[in-house]
Amino acid sequence: MNRWLNRSVTLVLTALIGWGLWSVLHWLLLAADWRVVVSNLPLYVVGSYPVDQRWRPLLWMVALVVLIGFTLLGPRRGPLQRWLPLIWLAMAPLGLWLVAGGLVLEPVSTRDWGGFTLTLLLTFGSGLLALPIGVLLALGRRSRLPVLRLSSTAYIELMRAVPLIAVLFFGQLLIPLFLPPGLEINRVLRAVLAFAFFAAAYIAEDVRGGLQAIPPMQREAAAVLGLSEWQSLQLVVLPQALRIALPSLTNQAVGLLQNTSLMAILGLVELLGISRSLLANPVFIGRFLEVYLWLAAVYWLACTAMALLARHLELRLDPLRSDR
Amino acid sequence: MTVAIRATDLVKSYTPGSRALDGVSLEVASGEVLVVMGPSGSGKSTLIRTFNGLEKLDGGELDVLGVRLDAAHEERPVREIRRRVGMVFQQFNLFPHLSILDNITLAPVKVQKRPKAQAEQRAIELLDQMGIREQAHKFPAQLSGGQQQRVAIARALALDPEVMLFDEPTSALDPERVKEVLDAMRQLARDGMTMVVVTHELGFAREVADRVMFMDQGQVVETSDPASFFTNAREERSRRFLSQMV
Repeated sequence: MNRWLNRSVTLVLTALIGWGLWSVLHWLLLAADWRVVVSNLPLYVVGSYPVDQRWRPLLWMVALVVLIGFTLLGPRRGPLQRWLPLIWLAMAPLGLWLVAGGLVLEPVSTRDWGGFTLTLLLTFGSGLLALPIGVLLALGRRSRLPVLRLSSTAYIELMRAVPLIAVLFFGQLLIPLFLPPGLEINRVLRAVLAFAFFAAAYIAEDVRGGLQAIPPMQREAAAVLGLSEWQSLQLVVLPQALRIALPSLTNQAVGLLQNTSLMAILGLVELLGISRSLLANPVFIGRFLEVYLWLAAVYWLACTAMALLARHLELRLDPLRSDR
Repeated sequence: MTVAIRATDLVKSYTPGSRALDGVSLEVASGEVLVVMGPSGSGKSTLIRTFNGLEKLDGGELDVLGVRLDAAHEERPVREIRRRVGMVFQQFNLFPHLSILDNITLAPVKVQKRPKAQAEQRAIELLDQMGIREQAHKFPAQLSGGQQQRVAIARALALDPEVMLFDEPTSALDPERVKEVLDAMRQLARDGMTMVVVTHELGFAREVADRVMFMDQGQVVETSDPASFFTNAREERSRRFLSQMV
């Protein structure tokens, strides 16, 4: 009796899954019209960037892909490995220079930045700004000076109590009102700043968790060796605390990447923004499913790359598992 | 005979009304090994932690290698003392994210600004002296407790200290690991290091100490040479403590 029940349940489930797979495949291969994706690929990548300059953001992206591949699959030792962290840090200014121009390159206004390039620039830029601010806030919250402690705590609690979209509106609409006339911060920079100041509050709490996990005796051991408080922080406490905070920091980075899509509401044409404007084109009317599925795939790919890199970093930093 | 540490009427109080140190005075001569014994809570750890400024004094005066500390002292004399006084803790307190070699060379390179190669050579010598040269490139978590404590001693010695403080260095170790750490300390004493050792190891005190100081409730009960302390302690309180230890 029981066996028959099992068999029939298995049969029904298999049939359901098969039917589901069949209809998805049928839609993907026959019903869907992928022209909205295929014929607009350059737009998804660079937005309305000047056509003759498109090689610049593309070059940056190729460099990123090569770097990711080398980091994950390359040899674990070697002269290049030692420089890897610096090369990674250099990717943000490199991208900014390639996209914005200046020096030998022709300048391109932020109005023409867009697509996945803009998504990545927003993520990279705000992440790199948010991390040091977050670390400082975490240290401030644990400071012995009441003024520093209270203001850090107030900042963190306030920022966490406000929804991101409100912070972004504030950055886009209100900051220009407070600035003296004539001084103007461009839209992308305003977005990066708003993101960074928002994410810093969350990063601060992750880092604080790491700091709290370090036994106070570690600081004593550093102190009796004659290390100054700053040296003890920099050489003993922070390296351990950041390693502990790394999984939550990865979480923040992934969240940051996805939250850049909110900028579409504010009129920046990053990946989601450019997709929405493509959908507004009468030629591609009604092709929502194709576009959003494609977007999901791109975001998934980017997040997976980040997760793999973070996992790699975790293993590298674990003294007992890396082959040093 | 030069005096390495002179303490006069030290007072330390964590909670108002109770004193962890209640008027402690002592002298440690240069080259001397002083063993401090006493029940837990007697203030012996607090005492040696005042010697390098880990605990701030509430009263009294300290003279460590000619540097004076009192209740109102600044940061600067404390750092001067820490450069010249090494300390070993009960819990080893190695830096888990650094290799054994980096643990030892960190302070010589960053504080004393010695060249890295020279500091590493000295670290290897010290590890050799401690009998754990082959562990140089491992990480603390890969070592046994006794090995970690010997690394901690080597780390303190790498700064060429004039005085070494030991705060219950064998209390967190398996019984069979105690000997290897005590042997290292014995060798250090034989080489003429000035040492203040808080410990419950009677054998070590009897054999290595020049003098034994017995503390209870934040006060010095008696200070004697080990032979008379262990066979014929002057004070009733010391005798009661010793009878419970054996």
